[in-house]
Amino acid sequence: MAQATSEDTDAEALGHLVRRFRNFVDETDREALAVVGVMTAALLTAFVGFLAVSSYTIVPFAVFLVTASYGWLRHQGLTARLLTLTMTVSTILILILITAFIFVEAVPVVFYESATVFGIEIPGLRMFIQPEWDAVSSPIRYSMVPMIHGTVMVTLVATAVAAPLGVAAALFLSEIAPRTVRELVKPGVEILAGIPSIVYGFIGFTVLSPWASDQFNILGQGTYLFVGVVVGLMALPTVVSVAEDALNSVPESMKSGSLAVGTTDWQTMTSITLPAAFSGVSAAVLLGVGRAIGETMAATVMLRGVPKLTDPLYNVFYGQETLTSLIARNYGEADGLQMDALFVAGVILFVTVLVISVGSQYVEWRMRKKFGGDV
Amino acid sequence: MAGATRTRLVREDTSGADAVAALAVGVASVLFGLGLAAMFEVVGLTGTLAGVPTLPLLGGLLLVQGVAVVVFGVGSRFGAVETNPRPDAGIVAAVAFTLIWLVVGGLVASQVLGLGLAGWLLGAILTGAAGFAATVLPREDVGSTLPAGVVTALVGLVFLSGYIAPTSVWDLGWEQKASLTAEFMVPVVTVFCALLTGWAAAKAYGGFGARGRRVGAYLLVYLNAAAIVGVLFALVAFTVFKGVPGLFRGLTFGPGVGPESTVALFGASVTFSWPVYLPFAMNGVGLLNDLNGVLPAIVGTFWLVVGAVLFAVPLGVGAAIFLTEYAERGRFTQVVEVATNGLWSTPSIVFGLFGFAFLIPRFGNGKSLLAGMLTLGFMLLPLVVITSREAMLSVPDEYRDASAALGVTKWQTIRSVVLPAALPGVVTGTILGVGRIAGETAPILLTMAGGVFVPGSQTADVIGGFQFTAAPPFVSNPELLQATSALPYQLYALITAGVGASGNVGNPDQFRWATALILLLVVLSFYAVGIVTRYYFRRKLDYE
Repeated sequence: MAQATSEDTDAEALGHLVRRFRNFVDETDREALAVVGVMTAALLTAFVGFLAVSSYTIVPFAVFLVTASYGWLRHQGLTARLLTLTMTVSTILILILITAFIFVEAVPVVFYESATVFGIEIPGLRMFIQPEWDAVSSPIRYSMVPMIHGTVMVTLVATAVAAPLGVAAALFLSEIAPRTVRELVKPGVEILAGIPSIVYGFIGFTVLSPWASDQFNILGQGTYLFVGVVVGLMALPTVVSVAEDALNSVPESMKSGSLAVGTTDWQTMTSITLPAAFSGVSAAVLLGVGRAIGETMAATVMLRGVPKLTDPLYNVFYGQETLTSLIARNYGEADGLQMDALFVAGVILFVTVLVISVGSQYVEWRMRKKFGGDV
Repeated sequence: MAGATRTRLVREDTSGADAVAALAVGVASVLFGLGLAAMFEVVGLTGTLAGVPTLPLLGGLLLVQGVAVVVFGVGSRFGAVETNPRPDAGIVAAVAFTLIWLVVGGLVASQVLGLGLAGWLLGAILTGAAGFAATVLPREDVGSTLPAGVVTALVGLVFLSGYIAPTSVWDLGWEQKASLTAEFMVPVVTVFCALLTGWAAAKAYGGFGARGRRVGAYLLVYLNAAAIVGVLFALVAFTVFKGVPGLFRGLTFGPGVGPESTVALFGASVTFSWPVYLPFAMNGVGLLNDLNGVLPAIVGTFWLVVGAVLFAVPLGVGAAIFLTEYAERGRFTQVVEVATNGLWSTPSIVFGLFGFAFLIPRFGNGKSLLAGMLTLGFMLLPLVVITSREAMLSVPDEYRDASAALGVTKWQTIRSVVLPAALPGVVTGTILGVGRIAGETAPILLTMAGGVFVPGSQTADVIGGFQFTAAPPFVSNPELLQATSALPYQLYALITAGVGASGNVGNPDQFRWATALILLLVVLSFYAVGIVTRYYFRRKLDYE
C-alpha cells in the first residue's frame, strides 16, 4: 500500500513539473527561450564531451559561454536563474561522479577476489575473510582486513580522546565560559582545526613516535595508540563546534526554567541542557568519528606501512596500516589490480563516512524538529 | 543584625575546613604539574627534587593527598566539618570508581599475588564491587572521597615502598614485543591520581551537594579547556622554535640584494631587485644556490588556492542562491543539503582517488596543476555552498519583501539586497575553507605533486603560460598541465624521502622544520584573516 501511495505522489509530482514546464515555455518570449535552450544544449554537450575525453570539449563550452554572456545582457533574470540551477545540479553531479568513478575503478579486483561459499561464488568476499595482503609475490592477495583493523583501532583511540574532551570543551564554550574567555578559546579551537594534518604528522613522526618507542620498548616506530591520539586531537575541533551548536540550540527558556527552580548551573547542564541536546551532541561525536576515519596524512607518516594484523589484535603499540594510509602510500607504484584494490579501500572509506554523515544529519534534523525550529 | 552575626559564625566554622580542602586542591595541582614534567622528561624519575629522590617524593605527596581527602570526607560524615552532602555520590562517580577499582584489583591479583585468570578476574570483580559499594552506600561526602583517596594513598605507598624502581619494566608478553615502563606509568598514574583527588577535594571545598558537584565539575572542565589551548600553543610554539633558524637562514636586507623581478604591463616592463633576500622563500633547489629554498612549492600552493577558489566560489555561491531563493523547499533542497554535507565530510584521500580516476585521463594523462586545482575545488565547493546558504538564510525576509515592494524583479532583489547582506558570511566561510584546503596533502598527492626537490627554474608561471594552438583544444597552458609542488606535499616528500635523498639541501632537518613552519604560517594566516573578518563584520552588525 505504502509503495502505491509513494508512486502516486511521484506521478503527481512529475505531472506538476510537466505543467510548470509548459507554463514556463508559454510565458517566456521566443528569443529568451532560444537562448536558454542553446545554453542548456551546449552545456550538456560539453559535459558529455568531457566525460568522453574528447579534445573538442572546448567548442560546446565556448558556445555556452557566448550564449550565457548574451543572455546575461538581454535576459539577466532568466539567465541567472538557469545558471544558478546549473551550479546546483553540478554540485550533485560531482557527488554522483565521485561515487560512480571510485566504484567503477574498484570493480576488477572485486571479481578477482571472489570466494566460494556453499557453492555460490560471491565477488569480493575473499577480501574480508582472509588477512593476507601481498601485492608482490604469488599468491597475490588484496585483503582489506588488516587495514580495516587499523582504521578501527585508530578510530577507537581517537574517539576516546575526542569525544569526552570535545563535549566538555563544547559545554565550556557554550555554557560556562565568561565572554572574554570564550572569545579567546573559540578561535583557538578553530586554529587547532586549521593546523594542516601533515604538520601534525610531522611532529608526531619526529617527536612522538621515537618517544613512544623508547617508553614502551617497541621494536621500530609507529603505534596505533599515538596515531589515534594525534587523530583524536585533529577530530576534536569538529566535535567541539558541532556539539556547541547543538547545546546553543537548546531554548534559553528551558535553561532559565530550570535555574528558576533553584538549581546550580551545573545541575541545569547535566539534567536539562545535555539531555535535551543529546542527539545533537551524539551527531557531533559521530562527525568526529567520520573525520578520524578519513584522516590520512598523520596516519601515513606515523604508521609502519606494513599491511598486516597486529599480534595480539588489541596490541595498540604497533601501528601497521589504515585504509587511508594504504592509498596514500601505494598509489605511486601501484597499477592494475593493486590500484583497483586501493579504490576498494576508497569505496569502503567513502561509504562508511557517507553513512555516518547522513546518520548524523538525520539525528540533528530530528533534534531541530523536536525544538520546533524550522527544519 | 542577626544575618550578619550568622555569616560571621559560619565563616569561622568553615574557614579551617575550607583551607584544608583548598590545600588539597593545591597539592593535587602540584602533583599534576610534577606528573606532566616527568612525562615529558623535564624531571627525571631517577634524579632528586629539592634534595629528595623523585619517586619517593611523588609517593609521599600522593599518600598525604590521599589521606587528606579521606580524612576530610570522613570528618564531614561525623560532623566535624559543616557540609551539605547528598545521600549518595551519583551514578557517574559510581561507574568511574567501579572501573578504577576493577583495574586496581585485577592488577594486584595478577601481578602482585600472581593468581591465574580465574583468580585475577575474581579479585577484580571483588574490588570493583567494593568500589561500587563504597561510592553508592555511604553519604556523598564519604562516597566521593573514600574510593579516590584510598586509591591515591595506595599508589603513594607503592611508590614509597620501593616496590617499583624508576627503571622497572613489565614485559606484556605479546608476540609483537611491547612493555610498560615505570618511566611512563609513574607519571601517568600520578597525573591520574592528581585529577581524581583534585576533583574530590574541589567537591569537598564546595561543601559537597549541588554546589560541591559544580565546583568539582568546573575544575575538570576548565582544566580541559586550558589543556586544549595549551596543546595548541605548544604545537605552534614548537614548530616556530624549530623552524625559525632554517627559515631566516641567509636573510639579508639592503638595496638590490634580492632576486630580480620583471613586471610587464601593457608592453612596458619594469625590472627591479627586491630589497630583501630571504633565500628559503626565494630560491628553489639547485646545485649553484648558496642556500636552497621552497619557492616552487610556495608558488604552487598560491596557484592551487587561486584555481580552487575560482572554480568553487562562483559555483558554490550560485548553487546557494538557487537553493535559497529560487527552489521551493522540499525534497529537492533536502537531497542537495544532505549531498553537500556528505561531500563535505568525505575523506580528502577519496577526493584524491576521484581526481586520479576522473581528471588525470582528461588532462593529458599526467599529474598536473590543473587537476590539483580542480580536486581542491571539489573539496572546497560543499563548504562554500553550506556557508553561503547559511548566510543567505540569515538575511531577514523583511529585506526581500521591502525590495519586492519597490517593484523590482526577483533577480534584482537577489543581486542588490540578498547578496550584499550575505557577503560577510560568504567571505568568512570561504577564507576559512581556503585555509583548510591550502594545507591538504592527500588530494594533491594523487593528482598534482611531482618531485621532492623542485629547481627554482620550474616555478609555475601560469599567467605567462597561455598559448593559442591550431589543434584542439586551441588554448593550452603547459604550465597548468605540468606536475609541480605545493607546500604540504613538499613537507610530506621531505619526510618520506629520508635523510639519504636530501643530501643536497645541506641541513635536511632544518629544511624540513622550516618547510613545516612556512606551511603553518600560510595556513594560519588564512585562518587569522578569516577569524578577524568575522569578528569585524559581527561587531559592525552588532552596533548597527
